[in-house]
Amino acid sequence: MDGITLQHYLFLAALLFSLGVFGVLVRRNALVVFMCVELMLNASNLTFLAFARDSGVDVGHLPALFVIAVAAAEAAIGLAIIIAVFRSRGTLNVDDIRTMRL
Amino acid sequence: MLAIVNPFTDPYWGNPENLANLLWVIVALPLLGALVCGVLGKFMGRANTNFVACFTVFSSFVLSCLTVWAVGAQSTQFISPASGVPVRWALWLDLGRWFSAGDFSAHYGFLVDRLTAAMLMVITGVGFLIHLYSTEYMEHDDGYPRYFAYLNLFVAMMLTLVMADNLVLLFVGWEGVGLCSYLLIGYWYRDTEKAWAGRKAFITNRIGDFAFLIGMFLLVLLVGATEQMGRETALGRSNFTDIGRARAWVTTVHDQGPLNVEVLREWALRMPPETAKGRPGMNLGTTISTEGPLKGKTFGNVLTAVLLLLLLGAAGKSAQIPLYVWLPDAMAGPTPVSALIHAATMVTAGVYLFCRLSFLLVLSPTAMAWVAMIGAATAIWAALIAFAQNDIKKVLAYSTVSQLGFMFMGVGVGVFWAATLHLVTHACFKACLFLGAGSVMHGNGDETDITRLGGLRKEMPWTWATFAIATLAITGIVPLSGFFSKDAILHGAHTTELAGYPWVGHTVYWLGLFGALCTAFYMTRLYALTFEGKRAADARTPHAHESGFRMVFVLVCLAFLSVVGVVWGLPELVPGPGGRKVAVMEGYLAPALNLADRFASIYETVKHVESPPWLGYAIAWAVALVGGAAAWLVYRWWLPARAGKPLPAPIALFWRWARAKFYVDELYDLLILRPFTVLSKGLFKIVDAGLIDGVAVGGTAAVLRRLGGWLRYTQTGNTQNYATVMALGLLFSIGVVLTWVLR
Repeated sequence: MDGITLQHYLFLAALLFSLGVFGVLVRRNALVVFMCVELMLNASNLTFLAFARDSGVDVGHLPALFVIAVAAAEAAIGLAIIIAVFRSRGTLNVDDIRTMRL
Repeated sequence: MLAIVNPFTDPYWGNPENLANLLWVIVALPLLGALVCGVLGKFMGRANTNFVACFTVFSSFVLSCLTVWAVGAQSTQFISPASGVPVRWALWLDLGRWFSAGDFSAHYGFLVDRLTAAMLMVITGVGFLIHLYSTEYMEHDDGYPRYFAYLNLFVAMMLTLVMADNLVLLFVGWEGVGLCSYLLIGYWYRDTEKAWAGRKAFITNRIGDFAFLIGMFLLVLLVGATEQMGRETALGRSNFTDIGRARAWVTTVHDQGPLNVEVLREWALRMPPETAKGRPGMNLGTTISTEGPLKGKTFGNVLTAVLLLLLLGAAGKSAQIPLYVWLPDAMAGPTPVSALIHAATMVTAGVYLFCRLSFLLVLSPTAMAWVAMIGAATAIWAALIAFAQNDIKKVLAYSTVSQLGFMFMGVGVGVFWAATLHLVTHACFKACLFLGAGSVMHGNGDETDITRLGGLRKEMPWTWATFAIATLAITGIVPLSGFFSKDAILHGAHTTELAGYPWVGHTVYWLGLFGALCTAFYMTRLYALTFEGKRAADARTPHAHESGFRMVFVLVCLAFLSVVGVVWGLPELVPGPGGRKVAVMEGYLAPALNLADRFASIYETVKHVESPPWLGYAIAWAVALVGGAAAWLVYRWWLPARAGKPLPAPIALFWRWARAKFYVDELYDLLILRPFTVLSKGLFKIVDAGLIDGVAVGGTAAVLRRLGGWLRYTQTGNTQNYATVMALGLLFSIGVVLTWVLR
């Protein structure tokens, strides 16, 4: 573990987060968008744990556990919504789902 | 256990001073009556509304009688807060502070001295009779709850006006009666012309009221400057060497407010005119040296300005030149209203105001000269217009304007008691004339044109008799009240010399005599055309019918008062101040007007030359007889004999001008209304329609619409677009933080 420092973890987390943002912004499939959101959540988890480990404060693990719990709940609800949307509209293309526009 | 109290022996009720605690009830009763009539009138029905309206005013009348008894009692007095000395023959009730702002404060306070007592008798006495008359006169009108609510409210406001112990509360009454006048002139508001008459009255009064307000503000500054100079300058301190009394005054200026009558009275005592000998310290010629808007002006000049502004205010309310034009139009209201508001009470408010402030007025001969000359000019001007009017109410309206001019003449030459006496007797006989006119209209299908009446003497005997008595009274025939009240004013004018204006007294006297001649002429004309001769061929109804019991009863009461009123005016009857024999009214009012009389004699601003009044009375009587006889000859003999032939040219010309009211309304229209309308229209088009509606309101809307047109393209409804913007914004924020904040 000599060569792997805090910076490496943070760079990885930043990379994952950016990938997630990129996916959310450009992908058209709602399911993929949803997966990218999960990616962003996990990137933040990685950041929490890296800092916790680096500073030796175990309390830093707590937010990660919360995020996992929330992500699980979100996954359940999100997948349910995606299924419902697919059933009602027959598509998961976000460009076709524009009900926010009046 | 019911104890029977004899109010005259009971230690509480037997003491007239304790009546002061009840003064507020005199105002509260009609106010309550207005509320009950206005809110519950529809549910109570006509008879109950009539009862409530009359009963409340009658109760006030009973209390007023008790008050008159109290201010007549030897022992009655109160301690003036402004000087610490007792004021005799007066009651005072302070209900506490109304408001204060900075240094200024005003109280709810009622002051009844003998001047107010005389007014109370007129307002509640004549007021009650006119309420009673109205119950029959308005019996076919469905708006009776509104009518009686306004009428009761008017009585309450008029009572506030005369009982107020400070000018601020007086102004409340002043505005209140103006409001009721407006409401009652426009009582039949569905008739556009009548609604406009109400507006004309209101707006004309507003001009006067504005001057009144400015006058009050100046008076506040004047009292404040006096107090400040008394504290800060050596000269001023020498006016306040009596420490206890000076402290009482200063405390009261701050507690009761500078417009309290007692405060002003004490102020007048401390401010002698420049000519007063042996009085060191400030006087009316002193220049105000303390900081403030009045700096550099003399006390006397500011006082004169105050009084002239109050004169304009009084001219508005009391229908004097130049603001008299509203009163004739005010006849659009129901006739009892004309009798109560526009003849007996409200229009005399200006006269009352100057009698109340008589001690200030005598300090400024300039203001007195103005008041006298305005009064004299109005008396003649209105009388000339009355010559040619054919509407019975219009003649009486111009007659009222003219008689008010007589009262102003009396005030202006310093015979305040005579002005008040004429006010009281005029209230009786003019109310009788107006109610008689109302009775004529009631019995002739609302006909007001005297050329289409005539011969009513046989058909309406009671109306005829009372109208005739009142006509004789206003004309000034000897055994009736109008004679002595009017001639007391003329005699006062004849024997008065205003300091610096020696010509005013005589001018006013001769103008007044001419006014009396005109009065006799147009009143006799009115009487002759209405009641004598044959019934006109084009009359609206074939036969007139006499009015019912209540109206006739009221007419008889007022005619009786017009006769017995003479008792108050008989000269040299009772002992008065200075060991002279004076008229009853002069002796009665002496305590209320003593300060003015004292100033007039010791400062010599108003010199009364003592002379027996008999010769003047004989002349005045002859004048009245000549005027009446002339009208009688013209209308009973000359004109009928010349029927069908045109009038001589000069008379016809005068007739046409007088008929058209000398084109004063047209002149005002041309000089004031037209430019004002043009200015208003211009302002409306440029400022209101152009700047406010166009640029401010429309411009804001146009800018926002255009902006929204551009910005709506960003509202795609696509979540990813929004998220992109959020991400870019976040990136930008992070960039800013990293670049500048965490550098």
